[in-house]
Amino acid sequence: MVLPPVAVVAVFIGFPVGAAIAYTLGKTGGPNSTVALIAQRQHVARHGVTLAAYREVLGNSHVRGDLWATVWVTLLTIGVVVVLSWAIGLYVRLSDSWIARTVSALSVIPLFIPVVIASYAILTFYAAQGFIKTLAYQAGWHSFPTLGYTMWAVVIGEIWVNVPFGVLMMSSGLNAVPNALIEAARDSGASLPRTVRSVLIPMNVIPTVIVATFTGIYVLGSFTVPYLTGPSAPNLLGVSMSQFFQSFNQPQQAEVMAMIVFVLAVGLGAVYVWANMRAARRASQIS
Amino acid sequence: MSVVEQALPAVRRRPRPTVRSLATRAVGTVLVVALLVFMLGPIVWLALRAFSDVWPYPRFLPSDWTVKWWHTVFADKSLGHTIKLSFEFAPVVTAVSAVICLPAAYAFSRFSFPGRRTLLVSLFATNAFPKIGLYISMAGVFYSLNLMGTFMGVVFIQLIGTIVFMTWIPAAAFSAVPRSLEEAARDAGAGPLRVFFRITFPLAAPGILVAMILSFLYSFDEAQGTFLVGIPNYITMPTEMYTLVLNYPEQAAAVFSILLAIPSVVLMSLVRKHVMGGRLAEGFQIR
Repeated sequence: MVLPPVAVVAVFIGFPVGAAIAYTLGKTGGPNSTVALIAQRQHVARHGVTLAAYREVLGNSHVRGDLWATVWVTLLTIGVVVVLSWAIGLYVRLSDSWIARTVSALSVIPLFIPVVIASYAILTFYAAQGFIKTLAYQAGWHSFPTLGYTMWAVVIGEIWVNVPFGVLMMSSGLNAVPNALIEAARDSGASLPRTVRSVLIPMNVIPTVIVATFTGIYVLGSFTVPYLTGPSAPNLLGVSMSQFFQSFNQPQQAEVMAMIVFVLAVGLGAVYVWANMRAARRASQIS
Repeated sequence: MSVVEQALPAVRRRPRPTVRSLATRAVGTVLVVALLVFMLGPIVWLALRAFSDVWPYPRFLPSDWTVKWWHTVFADKSLGHTIKLSFEFAPVVTAVSAVICLPAAYAFSRFSFPGRRTLLVSLFATNAFPKIGLYISMAGVFYSLNLMGTFMGVVFIQLIGTIVFMTWIPAAAFSAVPRSLEEAARDAGAGPLRVFFRITFPLAAPGILVAMILSFLYSFDEAQGTFLVGIPNYITMPTEMYTLVLNYPEQAAAVFSILLAIPSVVLMSLVRKHVMGGRLAEGFQIR
């Protein structure tokens, strides 16, 4: 019964990724033969494998710019999303005011909006004639920078899209901490920051790691947000790899970029698996 | 319950506001306003644009209002076609995904077999690949399989994104059905099929429905992969947004955005409780 989804994943993920690895190493036969027929600027390995495609892509200064942009946008988005999710999650956990309820309702709005719409809305909001510029102008700051079509708009868009997942994960994790535990810490004289540091943070390592890794993987694999809100170059690798694939007709170079993004994601995925394994081991030791 | 409540006199009194509590509230209010602008601002700004005729900078509102852009969008035949196409793909993808994944979800929840955890994790790997990199790899092989620019190609590329929640959420729903209920029905003489359709399935149905709605929305909103594989034959609503943003007046794109967001808002509102009740969060921890 479990075979069908596993087979689908094997056929449509395992197989293409394997073929792509072979293709980037210069193997143009088998499943890659059709794409190799139409490709421009291919590096073909007659015997064994060749790293020429990797050398070309990594030697391209535009691609290196994209890679650097991808790394800093990913790290910045992870940082902001984790902090924001913790702040909102904590506020909602510890306070029961109307403010807390409003905050938690606001933070899940992006779940209801398709990413394409969100990206476009964010672009117009931060554009040259958008709300933020208008607000700054009315407040007397006439030289306020335009964020639309810059990497800042991309960061804002990625944060916007990823906040609901972060808040839901953190709220769920924080709600799992029993009230009695928090009250016990407070009763024995711990301040609120101390309670957060010694009780809530250690008990929520896993949700935090999940938020960080999944946000990171999402940003690495995103196309819509950077394509609609970002500059033409340098932009995230997701945008340039689809340009290489569709517009420049250089699928091999595009797949090399996909491999680079996979490697970056594997780093994040390893942290996730490690944290889960550690938690599972601890749980089995207790019971 | 009411007796107990009456027996306890209302001892809680509002403490007198101190400087510190006032400052906390002020900070809280500022943060709420900032979050409101950040989260809701872009959407409101876009919605206003759909009804604007003339909107000189720097004004907070348009100076002339109109509904003519709605007529423009509704009169455009090609836009109508993309809407129709979106409503064709989403049910097909949801149905295919359900047929493939639901039996697996049941098996993961009810049977323990060698490699269960490995298979669960490998299904999860579909989520751990950065999406656009994965789509590029898939597209390379899709050429050889004659799936580029075909209906089935788009279905497969959208299917990949639905597998994780179509397996994990229903598996959790099946696990939540108490085994004692099933055993009781067995003892009363019901066969295994009857037990499944009269006991297990009805109790797990809400979770399955949530998974199906999420799949439907995923397919409906998916743009990156559809753009890569479906072009030029199959252009769905979110894919059309890419072109619309570049080639149409801003107001027409705003109208189209609102239309595209309606199904998302309606369907997500239906499952809001389940998604926010921690079911999504629980699905992300490997067990």
